[in-house]
Amino acid sequence: MGLSAAMEIGKNGLNIYRVATEVTGENIANVNTPGYSRQRVLLETAPPTTANGFPMGTGVRIATVERYYDALLQQQLVNAATTLGYDTAKSNTLQQIEPAFNEIVNDGIGAAISKFFGSWQDLTVNPSGTAERQSVITNAQILTDNFQMISRTLDDSITMQNDSLVPLVDSINATLKDIAQLNGQIKTTELVAGNANETRDRRDQLIRDLSQKIGITFTENTDGTTDIKFADGGAALVTGETAGAFSLDKITDPNSFAVQLTPVGAVPPAVGVNPTTGQLGATLALRDTIIPAYQAQVDTLATTITTQVNTQHTAGFDLNGDPGIALFDPAATNAATFGLNPAIVNTTQIAASSSALLTGDNVNAQLITKLQSQKLMAGGTLTLNSYFDGLVSKIGLDVASSKNTVSQDEAFSKQLTSLRESNSGVSLDEELSNLIMYQRSYQASAKLITTATEMMDTVIGMIR
Amino acid sequence: MRVTANMSADTSVYNIMQGRRRLDRLQELITSGQNVNRPSDDPISSRLLLDIGDKMKAFDQYNANIIKAKSWMQFSDTALSGMNDVLQQARSLMNTMTSGSSDPNERQNAHNQLVELKKQMIDMVNTQYGDQYIFGGADNLVPPFNTTDNTFAGDGTERQIEIASNTTQTISITGDRLLLGIGANPSYGTTNILQTFDDLIAAVGDATTPSDPAAITTAVQSLDPASRQIFNAINTNLSRMTRVDNMSKLNDINKNTLTDIVGNIQNVDMVKLGVQLNTEMNAFEASLSATAKLSRMSLLDFL
Repeated sequence: MGLSAAMEIGKNGLNIYRVATEVTGENIANVNTPGYSRQRVLLETAPPTTANGFPMGTGVRIATVERYYDALLQQQLVNAATTLGYDTAKSNTLQQIEPAFNEIVNDGIGAAISKFFGSWQDLTVNPSGTAERQSVITNAQILTDNFQMISRTLDDSITMQNDSLVPLVDSINATLKDIAQLNGQIKTTELVAGNANETRDRRDQLIRDLSQKIGITFTENTDGTTDIKFADGGAALVTGETAGAFSLDKITDPNSFAVQLTPVGAVPPAVGVNPTTGQLGATLALRDTIIPAYQAQVDTLATTITTQVNTQHTAGFDLNGDPGIALFDPAATNAATFGLNPAIVNTTQIAASSSALLTGDNVNAQLITKLQSQKLMAGGTLTLNSYFDGLVSKIGLDVASSKNTVSQDEAFSKQLTSLRESNSGVSLDEELSNLIMYQRSYQASAKLITTATEMMDTVIGMIR
Repeated sequence: MRVTANMSADTSVYNIMQGRRRLDRLQELITSGQNVNRPSDDPISSRLLLDIGDKMKAFDQYNANIIKAKSWMQFSDTALSGMNDVLQQARSLMNTMTSGSSDPNERQNAHNQLVELKKQMIDMVNTQYGDQYIFGGADNLVPPFNTTDNTFAGDGTERQIEIASNTTQTISITGDRLLLGIGANPSYGTTNILQTFDDLIAAVGDATTPSDPAAITTAVQSLDPASRQIFNAINTNLSRMTRVDNMSKLNDINKNTLTDIVGNIQNVDMVKLGVQLNTEMNAFEASLSATAKLSRMSLLDFL
């Protein structure tokens, strides 16, 4: 073997510590890259020879460049992201709805109901007064405005959820395609040489991003690819290098798109799915269940007021002695269509009297004011006002609990992210000390070569 | 546990955000002075606050009803006192004419005075509040009485208004009960006061007709129950005024109680918040300062 072996070891050392410095450089450069896992060079002794008569190593070599990665933590991060995605989407939307029901600070439907019946009280004192009659019509109009405002807010919110499905589904599909593509790259790279660390990091980050939008389960395969299944039903979303796709049926109901899925390997047509988790699940739940439930309650209130007031109003007689006609539009079926009967054009048409002959009678007006204190709602258990107060309180409760859940989710996610960062995150201080360590080793390897060269010179000098 | 600079940065940002959120909440509480600013702040209290708000609105409405009813009844009181005066005048006039008079001028004079007094009586009973005849019952757009005959053009329905939840109060006195002595529940008397005046006018005679002492005696006897009838009406009206006054006070007391409850829920404890704010601010400043100091530290500075 001789001196050339020592030089060979020195050369290997130079090469290897250069590579180690490169890996450190990669770590330092990616200190702030989301999803990046720090890498390290695993060194091992090169195979020994027995050229000297006894086994002796031939220097150092790189076993592999590996990344710090915890598969279990990835699983937990994915699950936490799905919950966070659902709760955040729900909480944000509910917080947007809440101001419309904030009766504590602003006057809304509740105050409008009180004022409407208050104007009937005023009318009982002066049943034939034009000003009092005008006040009844004006307050009925204010009540209409309030109902329509609330109804519009809820409608807009539903429409917004529906519209947001389009970009959401597009982004899910793009992510699925990207994951499938990265799977392909990982497989090819790793067939040729070593670990495709950076590509794996990017794919795992995409999986975490995806899990915020929909619930998924994933399995890692031996060839480096990751298969993804839909948590709601188990359909294959990504298998190896192929991806399935979500789509929206916009034709059946243009105001309420149906979510459909073409799983991997399935032939179209896409089948309808019902996502219940992640941002997509929250969007659908808000659009189909949560907001419509509020809307239904407001609608019930509007239709009850319409029916009850109309029934009592038509039992009375107006200032001309004619039987009362419906005060509110009897064609109204919900809060959006709630309104004053278009046939009411004159204040004389307010039916305050219970007798065709007695214009100064206030008995019918009194009966109408009594509707306010009657338990007309929820199967005869709540008054109009307390029914609405209950709705406000329920929305408050929903918002409060969703806010709480989100802050718990955030705290949990924070903890998991910290754990991931602790395991996989780059520490500059650590990299810097590695850098110095590698630099010293590099210098030592170089010294080995110069020393071997000097020894070589000595040998050659002997010949001279 | 391995700790990287990024973890410290993340933790700092998270905790600074939490601190900001708490400070923001404290600031909202202090500046608004209210514990509940939106339903989600305290859903259960919100429900109570809204319920109390509805009740307070109702009390306000009842008190507004009472104020209007009281001015109605004050109008009634003035008119009734006027009628009482008219009856007193008729009585003192008749005291001088107990057995009529043989002087045609005196008779004509008494006749004219009585006709005038009856007209006054009818003017009083036709008193208007706004465009409504207060003694006309539910048919109050036409005068209840005219000077040509003693028929009641109004209606016997008494007006009732709500002065508290499910509590109504009658506020009107109808002309038929008052002057014709007909109708029940309530009845103030059974004397037809207008007929009494007619009887007196007829009995006194005039410049050409001699007095009828027997008829005078009969008619004068009706003046006492007539006075009592008006008196009863005055007393009824006054006791109604007292009742609505009391009810108005009761409504105010109830409203004050509710205001107190709202205050207990809504009013923030400034002292407590001040102390909390100080604590939070100290913690926040400490976290800012710690973040600033720690994030400067790096091995780079020593290499």
